[in-house]
Amino acid sequence: MKNPPSLAFEDHFNISLGDFQNILNTALSRGGDFSEIYLEYKIHNFINMEEDIIKETAESISLGLGIRVLSGEKTGYGYTNDLSFEKIKKAAITAASIASSRTLREAPPLSPVQYHHNFYPVQESPHKESLEKKISIVKEAYHSAQNFDRKIKKVRVSFVDHIQFVTILNSEGLKVSDVRPLMKLACLAVAEKGDKREAGFSGGGGRVGMEYFSADLTPKEIGQDAAKEALELLEAALPPAGEMPVVLAPGHSGVLVHEAVGHLLEADFNRKKTSIFWNKMGKKVGSSQVTIYDDPTIPYFRGSYNIDDEGTIPKKTLLIERGKMAGLLQDRLSARLMRRPLTGHGRRQDYSCIPIPRMSNTYIEKGEHSPEEIVKSVKKGFYAHKFLGGQVEDSGKFTFSVSSGYLIEKGKLTAPVKQATLIGTNIDILKNIEMMGSDLKFGLQTGTCGKEGQAAPVVDGCPTIKITRMTVGGQ
Amino acid sequence: MEKGKMPVKLKELAESLVNFGKNNGADEVEISILDGYEFSIDVRLGKIENLVEAGSRSLGLRVIKDKKTAYASSSDLSKETLEHLVKNAIKRANLANPDEFSGLPALSTKKIDIPSLKLFDPEIPKLDSKKKIALATETEKIALEDKRITNSHGSSFETREIRIIFANSNGFLEEYEQTFCGLSIGLLAGKTDNQVEDYWSSSKLHFKELESPEAVAKKAVERTVRQIKPKKIKTQKVPVIFEPTMTSWLLGFLFACVSGVSIYQKTSFLVDKLGERIGNERVTVNDDGLMPGRLGTRPFDAEGVPSQKTLVMDKGILKNYLCNTYAARKLKLKSTGSSSGTGVSPGNFYLQAGNTPPEKIISSLEKGLILIRTIGHGLNPVTGDISRGAFGLWVEKGEIVYPVSEITISGNLGEILNNIEMVGNDLDFRSPLSGPTIKVKELTVAGQ
Repeated sequence: MKNPPSLAFEDHFNISLGDFQNILNTALSRGGDFSEIYLEYKIHNFINMEEDIIKETAESISLGLGIRVLSGEKTGYGYTNDLSFEKIKKAAITAASIASSRTLREAPPLSPVQYHHNFYPVQESPHKESLEKKISIVKEAYHSAQNFDRKIKKVRVSFVDHIQFVTILNSEGLKVSDVRPLMKLACLAVAEKGDKREAGFSGGGGRVGMEYFSADLTPKEIGQDAAKEALELLEAALPPAGEMPVVLAPGHSGVLVHEAVGHLLEADFNRKKTSIFWNKMGKKVGSSQVTIYDDPTIPYFRGSYNIDDEGTIPKKTLLIERGKMAGLLQDRLSARLMRRPLTGHGRRQDYSCIPIPRMSNTYIEKGEHSPEEIVKSVKKGFYAHKFLGGQVEDSGKFTFSVSSGYLIEKGKLTAPVKQATLIGTNIDILKNIEMMGSDLKFGLQTGTCGKEGQAAPVVDGCPTIKITRMTVGGQ
Repeated sequence: MEKGKMPVKLKELAESLVNFGKNNGADEVEISILDGYEFSIDVRLGKIENLVEAGSRSLGLRVIKDKKTAYASSSDLSKETLEHLVKNAIKRANLANPDEFSGLPALSTKKIDIPSLKLFDPEIPKLDSKKKIALATETEKIALEDKRITNSHGSSFETREIRIIFANSNGFLEEYEQTFCGLSIGLLAGKTDNQVEDYWSSSKLHFKELESPEAVAKKAVERTVRQIKPKKIKTQKVPVIFEPTMTSWLLGFLFACVSGVSIYQKTSFLVDKLGERIGNERVTVNDDGLMPGRLGTRPFDAEGVPSQKTLVMDKGILKNYLCNTYAARKLKLKSTGSSSGTGVSPGNFYLQAGNTPPEKIISSLEKGLILIRTIGHGLNPVTGDISRGAFGLWVEKGEIVYPVSEITISGNLGEILNNIEMVGNDLDFRSPLSGPTIKVKELTVAGQ
């Protein structure tokens, strides 16, 4: 580990390709349809600054492998971080036990797949950068937030970066690897005035190199944005409650696309017929102004990957086209059972997890209306500026927590508002999209999505959107 | 952890790394090792969907040099990697700033009798795979017999066996083993465009205490079908009854606000409120890490500080924050054995039960909402503000009249604690955060 980590998985797993071939066959020894080995090596770094000092740093190493066997609709899974041949073989036998067929398959020889794209061509890889340099970036963001205004009483800045090496081997002869960098600088600022205390947040990053902090978003800007938000929330009132027109700010409101639509277009929920969309392929599910994509190939984005965690080359995937349901996010299992092509959306948190269909970078395509025109069209309503997050059920019912927003009165943004909840059903909202802005933006490169206990880095985006009516929860 | 076989060498590994760190210049060293085995089975519509079985180990370490701290962790337990991590941590510690509050806890003279905590059930490692699969299959089968159920998210049964080894340079060296088992099911009812869903689960350290497949299935069915054909309601302020699962959710928020870490970071509305009235006399909250066989029980925390019972709120008065060693030093308090590393985690954190049966609480409600589920984010510990998507049952004249959905509830934790009008007698310790049914005087319920 004194040298930069090697790209060859064999260097971290002291096992020959021939032995892995053998393991893939062991995994099929009970008659499974498909076997796969997922090898992962990850180095993760963390720096935390609060109360004016670098409080701690942390380094974490994750090394292990997971073995999966598919048999019809069934999945057998074993994983281990003890990389002796015996333990790996035991994991293969565990995974094999899911099958009970007399038809035995033999895996063809492994043939390495080379691909010719790289969605994260970073110049200065964060994991090679010195800790001193990273600490100076943390301090820059910290002091920028702290010195922004006297009302800023507390700042916390964290920096995380990781480098993840993955290799996927499977019983179809696939052998393919990816090396994924990921970085995030996040700043929390707390402002106080009298009895009032409010927190603001900002951050940036992605699958980027250190050059990001001079070319794209400076630590100084990140600190200032967090401070600004905290100060503005000090002056914010709680929102009115009830049904009203809602305008969603571009970028941050992408979480709505992610939650209200994206999750329910993940293939597993449709194959199992639990998603409200399962019987609506090709049918109109929303306003014709709505076109939605999930694109894992956007360079430098947090949700991007060169191959998914099943070794599939990912594709920009059309989900909703002019209001009609057009596609699903597929992993291998669902694609095979539904007889659909792979889209490259099989992702997993780490080697201990079974891959499942996940989003990457999800967004609503831009429309024709200028953002000014949209706000101007609302007499009385709510402008949702920034979100804490959201959640959706298979039935399509969702909620979003808005951390900051504004009242709209006579076509203008007026009083700042905090802590609102938006609630509704996705199909109702999709149908009630009245105007689509021309200003597509993406949210912060800091988001993590959770599904079945697995975390995955994601990004979402949208233009300014007007929704005719939506329930706002507030006072 | 190998099934039925306990490696002893991990304890030696922990000790030797403590010494290695000291010999390489660290003032203080802390090592924790987790050795675990897990099994889980998911069954859906009568067929096995996933079967996962695995053993895994991980190690965490903290070094302190000149009052400067560095952490590291690894799932690679090779000597080479671990010694590299220790050395690198000492180097990294040099780049942090000195912090007078840092450092390991002093060695406690208190000794916890680990067997008396009943953390390990020898029956769990002996359960065979067929039995485990049958438990999940049976649960789903019973649930699907109810014709109102139209689809299933599946039923799962899981077990875990873990061994935790903890050593530090103040001479602490202890280990304990713990088992866990859980049975759960998620169900849907109604047609695709008017679907409702819910789940139920039972989690225990001991297999014989686990609810039966029949009990879990029936509860999940009942919870799901009661939401069929929900109505929307107008925005209004009404009394709200929290079911025990919802009280537990509220207590999770309270826990975050009484965390010593949130207090010294000033990210809680309860800063500087120790000794003050923050709720009415009906609110008594304890955190107890020593209750035998409960989910939140542990002999010591993530820094080796012995668990204890801490009175958090006594009849509405805030008595204690829950602290790890660092937060305690910051606040000039004592650690409550609540460390989860740099944060805090609860032992068994519960609202003391009252005397009223839950049915009586419902029948006392002239008009209002029974809160049964919430979704989304919308908790702000800095202000105590709550704003969440919610599902509930509408009550008129003491009777449930119809389910409601697409509503939000909003309020403030500080106000809720002062407005609890009734406390149920149905405290059940289903989770480490647990509370009985409560009735809150008034919350805003936003609908149409």
